[in-house]
Amino acid sequence: MNETLNPEDRLAQTTRRHFFSRCAMGLGGMALGSLLADGASTEPLSARRGHHRPKAKSVIFLFMAGGPSQLELFDHKPRLNELSGQPIPDSLIEGKRFAFMDSSFKNKSTLLGTRRKFRQHGGSGAWVSDLYPHTAGVVDDLAILKTCATDLFNHAPAKLFMNTGSGQFGRPSMGAWTTYGIGSESRDLPGFVVLQSGPRGPRGGAVNWSSGFLPTVHQGVPLRGTGDPILNLGNPPGVSADSQRRVLDTLGGLNLRRAAETGDPEIATRIAAYEMAYRMQSSAPELMDLKGESESTLALYGCEREKPSFARNCLLARRLVERGVRFVQLYHTNWDSHGGPGETLEDDLARVCRETDRGCAALVRDLKSRGLLDEVLVVWGGEFGRTPMGETREKTGRNHHIDAFTMWFAGAGIRPGQVIGETDELGFGPVSDRAHVHDIHATLLHLLGLDHTRLTYRFQGRDYRLTDISGELITRLMA
Amino acid sequence: MCLAPLFAFGVSAAVPDYLTEVKPLLTRNCVPCHGAEQPKAGLRLDTAAGARKGGESGAALRPGAPSESLMFRLLSGGHDGVDPMPYRRPPLGTAEIARIGAWIAAGAVAPADEAPGVFRHWAFVAPVRPPVPRAVEGTHPIDAFILAGLEAAGMRPSPSAPAATRLRRVALDLVGLPPEPGDIASFEADPSDGAYRRRVEALLASRHHGERWGRWWLDAARYADSNGYSVDAPRSMWPYRDWVVEALNRDLPFDRFVTEQLAGDLIPGATVSQRVATGFHRNTQINQEGGVDPEQFRIESVFDRVATTGTVLMGLSVGCAQCHDHKFDPLTQRDYYGLFAFLNDQEEPTMEVPGTEVVTEDRKGRRPATTLVLAERATPRETRRYVKGDFTRPAEPVPPGTPAALPPMRGVAEGRRANRLDLAHWLVSPGNPLLARVTVNRVWQVYFGRGLVETENDFGTQGTPPTHPELLDWLAVEFMESGWSLKHLHRLIATSEAYQRSSKWRPDLADVDARNLMLARQSRLRLDAEWIRDVALVAGGLLDRTVGGPPVFPPQPDGLGAFTQNSRPWKASAGGERHRRGIYTSLQRSTLHPALAVFDAPDTFTACTRRLRSNTPLQALTLLNDAQFHEIATALGRRMSAGPGAVERRIADGFLRCTGRRPGAEETSRLAALHAAELGAGAAEEAAWTAVGRVLLNLDETINRE
Repeated sequence: MNETLNPEDRLAQTTRRHFFSRCAMGLGGMALGSLLADGASTEPLSARRGHHRPKAKSVIFLFMAGGPSQLELFDHKPRLNELSGQPIPDSLIEGKRFAFMDSSFKNKSTLLGTRRKFRQHGGSGAWVSDLYPHTAGVVDDLAILKTCATDLFNHAPAKLFMNTGSGQFGRPSMGAWTTYGIGSESRDLPGFVVLQSGPRGPRGGAVNWSSGFLPTVHQGVPLRGTGDPILNLGNPPGVSADSQRRVLDTLGGLNLRRAAETGDPEIATRIAAYEMAYRMQSSAPELMDLKGESESTLALYGCEREKPSFARNCLLARRLVERGVRFVQLYHTNWDSHGGPGETLEDDLARVCRETDRGCAALVRDLKSRGLLDEVLVVWGGEFGRTPMGETREKTGRNHHIDAFTMWFAGAGIRPGQVIGETDELGFGPVSDRAHVHDIHATLLHLLGLDHTRLTYRFQGRDYRLTDISGELITRLMA
Repeated sequence: MCLAPLFAFGVSAAVPDYLTEVKPLLTRNCVPCHGAEQPKAGLRLDTAAGARKGGESGAALRPGAPSESLMFRLLSGGHDGVDPMPYRRPPLGTAEIARIGAWIAAGAVAPADEAPGVFRHWAFVAPVRPPVPRAVEGTHPIDAFILAGLEAAGMRPSPSAPAATRLRRVALDLVGLPPEPGDIASFEADPSDGAYRRRVEALLASRHHGERWGRWWLDAARYADSNGYSVDAPRSMWPYRDWVVEALNRDLPFDRFVTEQLAGDLIPGATVSQRVATGFHRNTQINQEGGVDPEQFRIESVFDRVATTGTVLMGLSVGCAQCHDHKFDPLTQRDYYGLFAFLNDQEEPTMEVPGTEVVTEDRKGRRPATTLVLAERATPRETRRYVKGDFTRPAEPVPPGTPAALPPMRGVAEGRRANRLDLAHWLVSPGNPLLARVTVNRVWQVYFGRGLVETENDFGTQGTPPTHPELLDWLAVEFMESGWSLKHLHRLIATSEAYQRSSKWRPDLADVDARNLMLARQSRLRLDAEWIRDVALVAGGLLDRTVGGPPVFPPQPDGLGAFTQNSRPWKASAGGERHRRGIYTSLQRSTLHPALAVFDAPDTFTACTRRLRSNTPLQALTLLNDAQFHEIATALGRRMSAGPGAVERRIADGFLRCTGRRPGAEETSRLAALHAAELGAGAAEEAAWTAVGRVLLNLDETINRE
């Protein structure tokens, strides 16, 4: 990987090998050898080694959009229950800023205990509430990190921060950094794929899987649950598969002539891009077609073959990593439990838990039974967590909380069956093992074989990193 | 291979000047570890004296002997078990290493009173018009500079491109639309210099010129038709967009173009048009999410204004000094908040624009359009430096002021607080070393694919030095002395031989100048997202050439809203609005039209001063299958189907409309074979022609400027 090249050079570099490896044969192997002399080139998405031997080949990031309440799921706080309804000790909130500061502090909100039942599970004895029974069944495969911390407490900036390491727009997301660093093993599908479920898309939309200043080839490609899984994947109405192939062959022949005439290596890249597009036209529908999945697999996930759902996306995520896709991200909304309509801790949180619990657990079990858990890293979490004090709107809820929230990790390179990090008795902040977003990114890249301090890209006069100027490996997390 | 370093940093082979050419390199690459604070290995490289004195391993340099100088050897590779330098970073470029070597070889001369951190960076010295290199009588000044460079490097220039290529190139670069077949034929019949110049004048006078170059400016202005952040509600901002198009069409002098956008409201007797222009700094995002702290996001927008002012008008990464003194450039955090103070004293009103009309929300009546503008506050806000750029940690107050390393601001009476108008006057004053250079460089970049300074948004010490420093300065001074006329600059570049050369790849240059830095030839450049569709619309005979007005909604695939927070229906425009130029497509920040985004249109969140040119399978799917491109292919097919003459003749007509040239015999026969195969497979006549149209619109040549 040559980190000093600018994007256009990287793209230009792609051409020659790309041309020979992928399309010269398909086009009758016209002799362009003298023109396209082989150089030390790599195409932007070809699989390559990072800085050290990787533990993980691919990542599935289950993004729980809106900020799941750790206090209702994983961070068991008996003392908070005892003090429920009492004012917050001033010492805990002094100097801190929260979302909706005006409204929450004018009438001085009080601590809120949880009404969920917590129980210890598995050999590790991890606490999980009754909202997440399936996940509770796989805790011995998880490493639960209860002391995650972020910097930003509004949704859109915080989501960006979790994805790009910055609250500013325009930075590359972790999936983009990953394919920039080590490419992808899929020839027929994009290297970074995004799936989405829930009542609405995540705030900020496409910036969350943006390639930022990296070449667009690294951008996350959203696969849609219905219709064409990729925009413009299907032939236009009235165009048969045969006609499409004839058009592509004619086009390829004419483009190849122009490549010979002008000597521009970008044309060879474009010819290859059309061939990849053509392969995607069949590989993407094949991916989405769950006919080959057994009834027992569908039952494990609790999904149907056709109907979009988070659980179906989990199954698709497995199929994507099986096909060599490097980074898969699943977004599910809505975890924003403020207490207002559709966002109550009483009913709506239980619903979003039901929507996600089984799919998450099934994914871990399924990957494990297929021997894929050794090479796939699964991450579960949102942009932040929720406050120990309650918020009363229509019913009860909690506010955004950035100092301590829970994420879990499973699979490649993770030491399973452990709970890392303790929060104070009310769950306001960490008392050990604080893990900042930059640390999580550093660790994720490390597992993929990348050194976060060396994965850089020069832009506007500066070498940018996913981890900005911070990031420490979370060693306890790793096997 | 090793010829490149000899000329890559400029055409002169003189001894590198320490303060302008060597010290900036050391400052950037070495001083981070070998500076005043805890220097690694006891070695300081922030002065030449420090290098001579050396550290734990002895002297780092021996004047006159690069190969015996430790620093040169370590920069060139590892040595005696010491890691190559910079430590665990990519090595310096061969040209840069060669420059340091040449300086050492010439005796490593440096001023005796040298202080750390003080160097004379070329971009901070105002340009002076250099003499044009001696050349054959009548040589265009640009060519005199380029040819001198080529001659010094022993390279010969490529010949002129064919007439048809030159015509299409200049039409796309000046108006963003392809030439009509009739004009191609008449230019091919008379491709004289005079005929070419007449084309250039006609294109500069076209009302579409402002659309093509307006888009260039709107990229930098981060223009969009929505508020951004998570809610991303639509906003009415198009009167500003139309102001830009119109200003470029009438060649509003660039100094006034900038002044009106920064401070039009403060010009005595400000006109409506001048107030509309201040929308430039209203293109910031507005956060309408519940629960946010409005002051926090107002300050975010001021941060963006400072960063944009720095990037676009100064070519400096000023934003780096928001949190700390700039690590490499002479910009302190205090300098930053001095600029911040200019941009922190405004109200942000919405203004009705007399003379415009839009339909009211209830669709029953009409009302004037509105646009976002700036207005100075009666009492200025107190600006304070923010510790680490964190607005919750205000420190000492900072008055408005310009960076100390740049020429001082004049004309502000003692005791008067400087305002945005003063800032604008300072930026456009002839003593300011940055604005003219940065602007001509960004114009040059459009014509050649790369600026004379490749890092078009960083003229600081981290940027790359100009390939043709004298030419850059000559153009900058010429631009100012022409009365800041952008059209003069366009004319100058477009009529140069360098611009008109063939873009054909040259095997003989592959080793010596693979990146074409010396401009022995032109470059093939993929068209920007908007022009790709515009060219197709013209070929299909569909383009609606109306200039200006509210944004339009060309068709896009269904269901895009599913991926955004607030799925807003995108109701495709009907009639001519469906086929307006790409610059008029509504720009929703959270869901840019996919056919724009896939071809690297800017994200509109921050200033974009150079578009990427990626080349991806998703682009292929868009051009092949997207409904609007298929609609255009069908129209093009119908046009060929209804055309006169034999199949071959109609193919040639379609080919010409897409690529600007007539096809060769083999090209025609391949397309004719496709047409026949479609018919043979049972396709109707029009469908067979649509298949031909699809190939033509997808040709690499169609979406490139050769």
